Amino acid sequence: MSVYEWKLPDVGEGIHEAEILKWHVAPGDEVGVDQVILEIQTDKAVVDIPSPVHGRVAGILAAEGDVVRVGTVVINFAVDGDAQTTLRGEPAPVVAAPPTASAPVSPSASKPRRALATPAVRKLARDLGVDLQKVQGSGDNGRVLAEDVRAFGEEPSLAKAPPAEKPARAVEAAKAPASGSEVRIPLRGIRRSIAEHMVRSKFTAPHVTTMDEVEVSALVALRNEMKATAAESGVKLTYLPFVIKAVVAALKRFPYLNASLDDNTEEIVLKSYYHIGIAVDDPDGLLVPVIRNADQKSLFDLAREIHDLTERAHAHTLTRDELGGSTFTLTNYGSFGGLFATPVINYPEVGIFGTGRIQKKAIVVDQSTDEIQARPMMSVCLTFDHRVVDGGTAGRFTNQVMRYLNRPMDLFLEMN
Amino acid sequence: MVVGEFTESADLVVIGGGPGGYVAAIRAAQLGRQVTLVERAQIGGICLNVGCIPSKALISVADEWHRLGEASNRGIHVESGRLAMPEVQSFKHRVVERLTGGVRQLLEANGVTIVAAEARFVDGHHIRVVSEYESKKIEFAHAIVATGSRPRELDGIPIDGRVVLGSTELLALDRVPDHLVVIGGGYIGLELGTAFRKFGSRVTVVETTPTLLGGTDPGLVRVVERRLRELGVDVYRNARLDRVNIENDEARVVLRSESGEVALDADAVLVTVGRIPNTDGLDLPEAGIQVDGRGFLVVDEHLRTTNPDVAAIGDITPGPMLAHKATYQAKVAAESLSGQASAADAMAIPAVIFTDPEVASVGLTEAQAREMGYQPVIGRFAFGANGRALSLSQGIGEAVVVADRESGLLLGVHVVGPEASTLIAEGGLALEMGATLEDLALTIHAHPTLPETLMEAAEVALGRPIHVAVKRR
Repeated sequence: MSVYEWKLPDVGEGIHEAEILKWHVAPGDEVGVDQVILEIQTDKAVVDIPSPVHGRVAGILAAEGDVVRVGTVVINFAVDGDAQTTLRGEPAPVVAAPPTASAPVSPSASKPRRALATPAVRKLARDLGVDLQKVQGSGDNGRVLAEDVRAFGEEPSLAKAPPAEKPARAVEAAKAPASGSEVRIPLRGIRRSIAEHMVRSKFTAPHVTTMDEVEVSALVALRNEMKATAAESGVKLTYLPFVIKAVVAALKRFPYLNASLDDNTEEIVLKSYYHIGIAVDDPDGLLVPVIRNADQKSLFDLAREIHDLTERAHAHTLTRDELGGSTFTLTNYGSFGGLFATPVINYPEVGIFGTGRIQKKAIVVDQSTDEIQARPMMSVCLTFDHRVVDGGTAGRFTNQVMRYLNRPMDLFLEMN
Repeated sequence: MVVGEFTESADLVVIGGGPGGYVAAIRAAQLGRQVTLVERAQIGGICLNVGCIPSKALISVADEWHRLGEASNRGIHVESGRLAMPEVQSFKHRVVERLTGGVRQLLEANGVTIVAAEARFVDGHHIRVVSEYESKKIEFAHAIVATGSRPRELDGIPIDGRVVLGSTELLALDRVPDHLVVIGGGYIGLELGTAFRKFGSRVTVVETTPTLLGGTDPGLVRVVERRLRELGVDVYRNARLDRVNIENDEARVVLRSESGEVALDADAVLVTVGRIPNTDGLDLPEAGIQVDGRGFLVVDEHLRTTNPDVAAIGDITPGPMLAHKATYQAKVAAESLSGQASAADAMAIPAVIFTDPEVASVGLTEAQAREMGYQPVIGRFAFGANGRALSLSQGIGEAVVVADRESGLLLGVHVVGPEASTLIAEGGLALEMGATLEDLALTIHAHPTLPETLMEAAEVALGRPIHVAVKRR
């Protein structure tokens, strides 16, 4: 027998670290090759990690919730000698399972392995993502109470704190009045990657947002007419495919908007492919699946793909590839009734185009007679990276998109 | 594409409509899923149609009938009585109809689509359903497999439904056999054997191992064995079935027992030699679903199989084959597949046996506690010292509590005696709540009731019982 140390591998291009989401094994478990031992979260995708060896888990060196850099040893296996030689050159002496932070510590080997907690407390722990085994219970016999779980969930660093401190904290929490109290949710998973992403974007790219309104009666009429045809082929036709078409057509005229700034080489990278990210609202956090080569797809293709990507975004079954590589992003804040917004750029892209609610407004339709009519108006906005483009370009780009939205038949002129 | 081949899509498919499947379907529907339930036979499964429920109906009737005959010492003198098996059957039928009808209504009220067909996997996200009239493919986002189990048959002794019977056929019998030979001394064999003994059959139980109710604490089994003797049930242990010859609806059952060859003439033979999971015919490998060496589906704590979009619950998963296990797992599986953080983490699954007297267990026995490294302390209290049991003229059996000596933490509760099946619920709650002997002893139990025995047993374990004389040192 020898020890096989397993390092967090590079699971995808450009990933330097990953969050340990869930261990499927515990010290002492026998595992087979390819058995899933670990779930990690990189960027916005969850990846199952299979076991590289057949053996017994000797030690787990990273706790759930830890962010681990690629190359860090996260688990040790005790493996048979011959298996080890094929996998790792350097033989190690027989080592008993090293004590680790995440291994449940029992007062004596013969004592129960499970935390003492009622079913309701166990459910609370799962809902808050708290590992009961790590919670020092403040009740009789080390019983874990609901307050203990909540207190633990409030401060993730407690996982590493000396246990002696915990009962005192738990008592404090227990004494705290229920009303007017705070709930602290650990920043984890999708929420954390959104937070990191937003900060990087806002602190790197100087954001400027322009806003405007466009009269869309022709678009409304066209979409209403096409809706029935679409429904016959089982397609739910929203405004988004039209917006994508309009934006892509405009991007072709304004290449600096379909670009990125390479900070390392100080080069502006202009892209002649049009991968459009679409912001999808999900209870677990914003996701941006990508429609590849949007310029080469029909309205119906786009509608189908939007539907599919949105569904799978909600089901969390999108792959890493489907969540990355966009060249420009669209966000529809109008679906929540919003009229104006200042979207944050999906860094390192140069621009993000937002569409607001369509609503009828009184506008002057004839400048000479001052005739006023009620017309459907769509509010739009563009946030751009002022390092790459200036207000003039951005304004001209926005006007071009608005022209297509105002006269969607002009999109026919762009057909290839 | 084959002409006439349709692929329908469903959000969540449940395969099997027993106590696991129908509960999974309802819970998933409650969580906003579009649910399709595929059932090849009857909604309610074995449990409601030909298992738990009908057997309890027959057992209760048999017990009432039998107690009438024993009632003279309580002043009831029945001059003449008549047992009409066809009417017993129709009573049983009404109970079953009412429950299965109720389940069907609940499914419909929850918007569950019921498909009467057999299902098999085509790949990881498709099943084919085949009914008498059609075959179609259903695409699913998630599936829950709940296909249950069926009785194991003995080689060379096929169930013919006339003389050689399985539990299903025996439960439907509208006559009382003169001599019923029960092959297999497990819980189904003893429950039904006892019931038919009470109906008036001569009953002989044949068991290949030295013990009846294998897997149950021997201390509890002894009480049942004593009662079987009183009732006049013949039991052959260590007896191997040699052959069964059938002629003119009469069976000659030949055994090899310790005392040599024994021939039994019987007009009914019940074969209850265990159950096997219904995992064949599902084409599980097509969906990437693995089974373990014993044919059970490999599942994680969320009941997900090796195909993460498919969960499995009930008798096809490792562990005891019990309806309430399936029901519990059903909720966990439906919730987990619908994005909730549910996991199967129950401390204990109670087991109940409707023999005379009933046997019920939850948690660890003394031997299991010792194996796990505890220093157990045991408290026993006999129903013979319980006022309610005596007033029911059922003062046999005992309640047993097993606890950790050091902390007093309750580890197991075991009851053999009247209404043991009902009493065990308190034990289950106590274990899940992490109760100690003190908790049980200090909870006021109404007098005079059977559950007082649990409180008393806890006090025995604490060394301070009121209703047991402890020698003073």
